[in-house]
Amino acid sequence: MAQRFQMDENMYHHLLGRLNELHQTDKRGLLKDFDFFHNDLWLADTAVVEELTRHKGEWQVNLVFAYTVNPMRFIRRQITSYSCPRKATLFSSLMRRLAAKDQRGTQEIRISSIFVCKN
Amino acid sequence: MQNTKEKILWASIKLFNEHGVANVRLQQIADEIGISVGNLAYHYRNKEAIVSSVYDILFEDFGHILSQYLQSPSFADFDRQILLYFEFFKTYQFYITDLFSMEHALPEIKAEWQLFMNKMILQIRTRIDFHINRGELVSETVQGTYNLISESIWMTIVFWIPQQTMRNKPVTETRFRSAVWNHLKPYLTQKGLDTFEFSLPVLSQN
Repeated sequence: MAQRFQMDENMYHHLLGRLNELHQTDKRGLLKDFDFFHNDLWLADTAVVEELTRHKGEWQVNLVFAYTVNPMRFIRRQITSYSCPRKATLFSSLMRRLAAKDQRGTQEIRISSIFVCKN
Repeated sequence: MQNTKEKILWASIKLFNEHGVANVRLQQIADEIGISVGNLAYHYRNKEAIVSSVYDILFEDFGHILSQYLQSPSFADFDRQILLYFEFFKTYQFYITDLFSMEHALPEIKAEWQLFMNKMILQIRTRIDFHINRGELVSETVQGTYNLISESIWMTIVFWIPQQTMRNKPVTETRFRSAVWNHLKPYLTQKGLDTFEFSLPVLSQN
């Protein structure tokens, strides 16, 4: 007889439970379910700064999204990495321009607004 | 167009249903499809190999039915699965005599059956939970009621066709579906009743 994939009974029960949850979509939601939307509203007013760091022998492109009202509120996202530094510089600039595109014009922050503690 | 191997397997299933697995000889299978026993032995070296391959098809079909669990969040989804069970147990009627034979030639088949049956009961029980959460079935007032109902539904699905045959009663898919749904009908809420009438109007009239 052909060998078939076997699953432990408890695990199967667990899997069926998760499948049940897939369809529980017609329940009334809570207002706090929209918190993620309010919490991320500041991201619409961010300036984009590219950053290159050396990581594991490659040049890693990061984009920093800083809030124009309070630049100390920012997030940093790792995008990609290149072995050639010139290529990394070129692409980081292109990626920044693409990410910073805004109908209101490019938003900027003054680097002096970011308070860096050098201790 | 079936090849010889497939022809042998489907002829075997037909003969197993008519005479029982233990009572079918290779000569009968060969006669059924009009080939020689030598030709049959070329494809399957003995009857055990045929039985094993038949069970491979059978378990594959059963696995397919189990995989249809909760494709959509409605009673019609369970009804579709019930219909598939009906077709399955009608096609492979020999399972009943073979399952209870005292000494099975292939003990791993019994073990596989047990696994599938336990999964089937588990699916029925979890599906009941799903409909309770949606407010279509009443919550359990006495603990363990739905466990017993799941087992009763399972028994109906597995043993309904043999008992109808034994009583010389008609074996139709509508009667089969009704027999299964009758276990759940008393536990439907008003919302459940409305959904049931809407999605399965044929059964709600019975």
